[in-house]
Amino acid sequence: MKKILALALCLCMVLAAVPALAADLLPAGDTYPLKTDKTITWYSQDCLNPHEKYGNWTESPFHTNLAKLLGVNIEWSFPTTGADGSSFTNTMMADPGSLPNIMKGYFMDTANQLLEDEVIWDLTDYIQEYAPAYYAWLQTNPAYDRAMKTDDGRYYAFGFFREDGGWNDSYLGPVVRQDWLKECGLEVPTTISELENVIRVFKEKYDAQFAFANDGRFRQAGVQGAFGAYATGYVASDYGWFVKDGKVGFGATQPEWREYMKWLNKMWTEGLIDQDSFSLDDTSIKAKVETGKSGVAYTSMGQLNLWNKDMGGDYWIGVHFPTADDGSISSQFGGFGIGTHTTVITKTADEETMKLCLQMLDYAYTQEGFLFWNYGIEGESWEMSAETGLPKWTPLVADDHDNDPMTKYNGATWGNSCIQATNLLYLKNSQTAIEANDAFFYTFGKDEYFADEAVKEKTLAVTGGWKWPVGITFTTDESDKLDLLGGNSNLNTYVAENYAAFITGSKDIADDAVWEAYLAGFDSLNLTKILEIRQGALDRYEAR
Amino acid sequence: MSVKNAGPIAHYRHLNFGQRVVRDWKLNKWKYLLIIPVLVYLALFCYKPMYGLVIAFKNYKPTRGIERSAWMDPWYAWFEKFFTDPYFGRLIGNTFTISILTIVFGFPAPILLALLLNEINHNKFKRTVQTITYMPYFISMVVTCALIRVYCQQDGLLSDIVVFFGGERQNWLMNSGNYRTIYIISEIWQTIGWNSIIYLAALSSIDQEQYEAARIDGANRFQQCLHITLPGLMPTITILFILRMGNILNVGYEKTLLLYNSNIYDVSDIISTYTYRLSFGGGTPQYSYSTAIGLFNTLVNVVFLLATNFISSKVSDSSLF
Repeated sequence: MKKILALALCLCMVLAAVPALAADLLPAGDTYPLKTDKTITWYSQDCLNPHEKYGNWTESPFHTNLAKLLGVNIEWSFPTTGADGSSFTNTMMADPGSLPNIMKGYFMDTANQLLEDEVIWDLTDYIQEYAPAYYAWLQTNPAYDRAMKTDDGRYYAFGFFREDGGWNDSYLGPVVRQDWLKECGLEVPTTISELENVIRVFKEKYDAQFAFANDGRFRQAGVQGAFGAYATGYVASDYGWFVKDGKVGFGATQPEWREYMKWLNKMWTEGLIDQDSFSLDDTSIKAKVETGKSGVAYTSMGQLNLWNKDMGGDYWIGVHFPTADDGSISSQFGGFGIGTHTTVITKTADEETMKLCLQMLDYAYTQEGFLFWNYGIEGESWEMSAETGLPKWTPLVADDHDNDPMTKYNGATWGNSCIQATNLLYLKNSQTAIEANDAFFYTFGKDEYFADEAVKEKTLAVTGGWKWPVGITFTTDESDKLDLLGGNSNLNTYVAENYAAFITGSKDIADDAVWEAYLAGFDSLNLTKILEIRQGALDRYEAR
Repeated sequence: MSVKNAGPIAHYRHLNFGQRVVRDWKLNKWKYLLIIPVLVYLALFCYKPMYGLVIAFKNYKPTRGIERSAWMDPWYAWFEKFFTDPYFGRLIGNTFTISILTIVFGFPAPILLALLLNEINHNKFKRTVQTITYMPYFISMVVTCALIRVYCQQDGLLSDIVVFFGGERQNWLMNSGNYRTIYIISEIWQTIGWNSIIYLAALSSIDQEQYEAARIDGANRFQQCLHITLPGLMPTITILFILRMGNILNVGYEKTLLLYNSNIYDVSDIISTYTYRLSFGGGTPQYSYSTAIGLFNTLVNVVFLLATNFISSKVSDSSLF
């Protein structure tokens, strides 16, 4: 009962705080069903696979219902089970003549080349007429519009947006054992010194260490923000780059990053960090965190939820990203609520078919389509809750004990050409997970975030403002140059290796000569030239 | 194995190769039809795909296909990039080191095991040992490496043993000094039984009368082993060795990928893992560059294969061709 009350309160707060929900802003979709006998082929690289309980999409309610609602026959396809999605897409792309009409993948990097080679449709001339809802949505936020077109203003894709903005993009963060905090009479840590102290006390009292899965979690974004730094050791993809006053920077060469390394090295040498952290993953870390070998860790809200489930109680809680002792923080894990997913229409669709595809994709950005993509069909999988005025699951979903049962009926759970409702995330996740996400995102306090515009701005700057923006496109020429310069791969290897060496002490981070040699190493990796190219792309993006 | 004195051809040694083929054609016209399927197979599945190698000289984009992708300027740009890569030296060094260490320690191990097994008369015991030693071969690589990683953790089995003898706990795979030892030992553990099978088969074909004759001459078991068993195994050993040398740069990426971490890249990063990261380490996959590295890999392998074959045919009678 308490939990339900808490949840209701929580939802009320959100309701009170968010002035208008996306659903209210969106135009009505009264042109559907479209009534055509055409069959459209639709490929989705990931995030839209039929639920594991179904043999194929013909059994899946979401996929069949969407076709019914749109009034168009859809022939779905997905990567073969077990195949690597991006490799599968790339293999398909090798035969442009027989691509599906609609393809969902990650085409931002190659958009210019695909348009040049006429593999995908340039939607600029058609988008306002045939996808008015989507176009209107893009106009609600300049960042959305900028992310979804090329430098010369061509629209080419339908994107993924979170209704909440950046909240759920901060799904990772530091977590601690709250029962131990109580036992030791400690406060929930908010600064880096407090966090360090908690780790120390836990080590003394429980012989527990700070543990994290380095690859894929901690290395992407750790607690560098407390030191004024912007990057950890992960510079593959776009982590590692930061934007400050319109200038691109490379985090792992900054003096602040060095301070961060010094701190991690100190923790490592004093035996406060679990030595296995470099080879742990989400599965193997469980043996540490669920058996009391660790009391401070770093993980996602979903994993935290699993740990607590396994342990049978709310042992682990999410805490704020630690700030410096003066309360300042430069960066943390997060984003702006714009995904890198792109859904494009390929040239296998003739002009008429392309227009039809536009209308089909536009549906997700209308009021009706938004509800369908997020919850499924009203009365079947969801109904309006009288208390909250928001959709809630019917017993069909609520009593279904399969993994993520809502994915049988909706399409927005993971990300696709749609807008993800915040309420969906609340319905999907447990209370602990939501609270953890709150702790990760509202670094300067949740109440303050909604009460004070300045705090809100500060939060957004720290979570997403420093990041390399989603939707920047390189020209074909630039991508080719980057490939030849060694691109991200060598940089990533170099930083990852030195990051490990600095932490474990096999290279002495305190030694200026070592640091200088490390910086000099970037010359042979063409960092300066790569930064120039990136600056150019950023400038063009800003000018869009 | 060399087939120098095979059949009736020997009688026509005075004819040159062309004349012999013509003669053979006349005699066995219809039998030649039988090799057509094999030729078609080779052409389709072994030679035609080689066409794809041209992307090593092009800037390949999947949507443009092989034909329409532009040539690199200069054509060797990808190779140049690889040779001037800051990691080139280290990659080659590591690949050769791991490969050579595996050959030095891993190649003789199954031979020794086969010889030892051969000396056992108790049949049941022999079979049990054989079964136990080749069992690990059937464990999936992912499982094997997961086991190794767990044993090597700071609270793993290895640390427990070391602590028992008064040492310190550590994660053994975090230390560059340990990596190669762990790699080679686990490699031997996993393959020793399986690889010994072929030697055991070769051993069973050695004429028993030779042993009898040796015993009559007063040779003890060690001498028998040295003078009869080993020479009997020699052709098999040579062929397998030549084939092994043809794979010198093909150190499996799966095992390295599953075992290494960024702290020990300096000893563990090899060509294949480097290529893997090029394709799956974030960003768009670099097809042309990976292909260029693959082509370079193959060329080195071929050189080693030919060289070993050449040396072998000079110093002994056995060679592949």
